[in-house]
Amino acid sequence: MGSAPASRDVTSYGMGLAAPLALFFLVFFVAPLLQLLWLSLHNDTAALHWGLGQYLHFLTDPFSLSVLGSTLLLGAEVTAVCLVLGFPIAWLYQRVGPKLQTIIILIVLLPLLTSVVVRTFAWIVILGRQGIINATLQSLGMIDTPIKLLYTQFGVVIALAQVQMPLMTLPLITALGRIDPNLDDASCSLGAGSWRTFFRVVLPLSLPGVIAGCTLTYAAAITAFITQSLIGGGQMLFMPMYLYQQASTLQNWPFASAISIIFLLAVLAVVSVFTTLGRLSRGYGGAS
Amino acid sequence: MIMNRRSLMTTALTLGAMKAFPGLSYAQARPLVFATFTGSWEEAHKAVLVPAFRKANADAAIVLDPMLSVDQIAKVNAAKANPPIDVMLHDPGPALVAIGQDLVEPYPVEKSAYYKDLISEAQEPMGPAPFFQVVGLTYNPEAVKTPPTSWADLWKPEFKGRVGITNLNSTLGTGWLVEIAKMRGGSEANVDPGFKAIEELKPNLAAVAANPGALATLFQQGQIDISPGNFNAIQILKARGVPVEFVAPKEGAIAFKTTIHIVKNSPNRELAFKLIEASLTPEVQTTLMNPPYLIVPTNSKVKMGGEIARVLAKDTAELKQKFVFQDWKKINEQRSAWIERFNREIKI
Repeated sequence: MGSAPASRDVTSYGMGLAAPLALFFLVFFVAPLLQLLWLSLHNDTAALHWGLGQYLHFLTDPFSLSVLGSTLLLGAEVTAVCLVLGFPIAWLYQRVGPKLQTIIILIVLLPLLTSVVVRTFAWIVILGRQGIINATLQSLGMIDTPIKLLYTQFGVVIALAQVQMPLMTLPLITALGRIDPNLDDASCSLGAGSWRTFFRVVLPLSLPGVIAGCTLTYAAAITAFITQSLIGGGQMLFMPMYLYQQASTLQNWPFASAISIIFLLAVLAVVSVFTTLGRLSRGYGGAS
Repeated sequence: MIMNRRSLMTTALTLGAMKAFPGLSYAQARPLVFATFTGSWEEAHKAVLVPAFRKANADAAIVLDPMLSVDQIAKVNAAKANPPIDVMLHDPGPALVAIGQDLVEPYPVEKSAYYKDLISEAQEPMGPAPFFQVVGLTYNPEAVKTPPTSWADLWKPEFKGRVGITNLNSTLGTGWLVEIAKMRGGSEANVDPGFKAIEELKPNLAAVAANPGALATLFQQGQIDISPGNFNAIQILKARGVPVEFVAPKEGAIAFKTTIHIVKNSPNRELAFKLIEASLTPEVQTTLMNPPYLIVPTNSKVKMGGEIARVLAKDTAELKQKFVFQDWKKINEQRSAWIERFNREIKI
C-alpha cells in the first residue's frame, strides 16, 4: 500500500512461526465456516436439496432486513458513544502525570477484569425501575413515575458502550501517545487556537487509532448476544438473537447458517469501509 | 509433514477400519452418560437420582453431562451410530423433534416395574415423564394485595405497565400463548385469539423477557409485579428472599412433561433403562418432591406433601383436574410461524 519500495520481502522468514496458529484457524475456523456455507445452500432443514432459498427468504423479507438494519445501526450508535466518551479520556491520559496515568489506565481496564455477564447485570440494577438512575431522579423530584430505561434501545446502547469502552480507549491512547507533543506547541505558536490545533493536527494524526478503535468496538457491539438480550429484552430483535432463535428454538439450521453468512458479509462490508478510511488516513500518519 | 503413498495408505486403511468397526474408536466401555439440564436440574439429579441409581446397580459408572435439549439433539445427530449420550432429558417440543429424527428408542414398557404406576399423561411409550414442570401466575405479594386467580387478571387496568411475559423461544412462552388463546376460544391449531389478547395486553406490558430466567431478574428489580412463571423457578427465587408467590390460575396450571429417553444405538442400553427406572420410583420422586427441590412427581404412588400439596394439588386426582396438558404435536407444526409472527407484531 504506501509508497515504500518493496526491495525485500521481510515476511518471508516469519511464516514458519505463524504456521501453528494458521493451522489452528484452518481447522477450527475456516473448516466450520465452510461447513456453515455448505449448510446455508440448502432449501430444507434436513439439508438434502441444494438451493439459494434461505438467502432469498432473508433478502426478500422486510422483517429480516429490518433486523439486520437495526443491528448495524446499533453498532454505529455504540461506536459513536464510545468515540465521543473515549477520546477525551485518551487525550487526558497523554497530558497528566504518571500517577494519574496509572489510575486512568486502571479505570479503563477495570471493566475487562469482570465478566460481561456481571457487567450486564450491574446495568440491569442501574437501569431498572427501582434502579440507581430512577431512584436518584425521583429523590431530586425531577420525575414522578420511574422512566423506562431497561428494555429500550437507549439502555442497550449505554450498557454496550460501557461494556465495550476499553476496545475504543486503548487504541486511542496508543495512537495519541505516538503524536509528538511539540506539534501542539508548534501549531499554537503559529497562531492556531486550541480547537483549531485539535481539529487540524491532533485529530488527523490520531485517525489510525480512531479507525482501529471503531472497528473493534463495532464488531464487538453488534455481536454482543448477552448484553443485547439481557438489556434489550425479548422483543428487541438483533441478529445474534435472531440467529439463536432459528438455530436453537426452531432447529432451522440452514436458515440460521444463511443468517450467519449474511451477517458476516454485512460486518465485513462495514469493517472494510473502516479499513479503507484507515488507508486514506495513513497519508496524515506519514506526516509525523 | 511429508505425505507419501505409504502414509496415505495407512491413514486411509485406519479410517476405513474405524468406519467398518465403529467399536474400535471406543476400545473401552464408557460409563453411562446422562444428559440432564443445567442448573437446579443438575443439582437435583446429582444429589438424588444418581445415588439411587448407583445403589440399585452395584455402583455402575455414570456421568452427568448437563446441556440444553437442543445440544443433546445436535450431539446425538452428529454421531447416530455411536452416540456420545445414553439418556436424554427433554421438554415436550424437543422430545418430539428427537422422536421425529429417530434418535430415541421405544421404552421397554413390558419390562418396567413402575411405568404402569405413572399417571396416564406421563405414560409415553417413546420415553416416560418422570417429572412435570408447572406454569401458573407469579406475582409480587408486596405490590399485588389481592392474589390473582385467573390468566384474565393480567389484563386488569391496575397492572398497567406491571406485567412481564417471555417471547416464544421458551416452552413457557409458547405454552402460555396457547393457553390464553384457548381462554378466548382458540386452540393448539389456532392461536389468533391469543395474539389478539397480547395486542390488548400491550398497555400493561412492562417487559417481554428473552427467556424465563430473565423474568426472575425483573421481579428482583421491581421491573414487573406479575407474570406467567414456572413453579420451580419461583421456589428458587423465594428461597433467596425475593417476594414472589405462585398461584395456579382457575383455568388450570399448564403442565409440561419432562420426558426421559433411551438414545438409539446406545452402547449402555441396559443401564440406561435402569437409570430411567430409578427416576420413576416413588422413593426418588418423593425425595425430589421435598424441599429444596420441589419437583412435581408423576408416579401416582407418591403422596403429595409440602409446598406442592399446598399450592398445586393434594393428590393425583386433584393434579389431573387442575393441570392442563397441551398437544405439543400440534403446537410444533406451527411454532416457527408463531415465533415469526411474535417477532413482527409484539413491539412495546
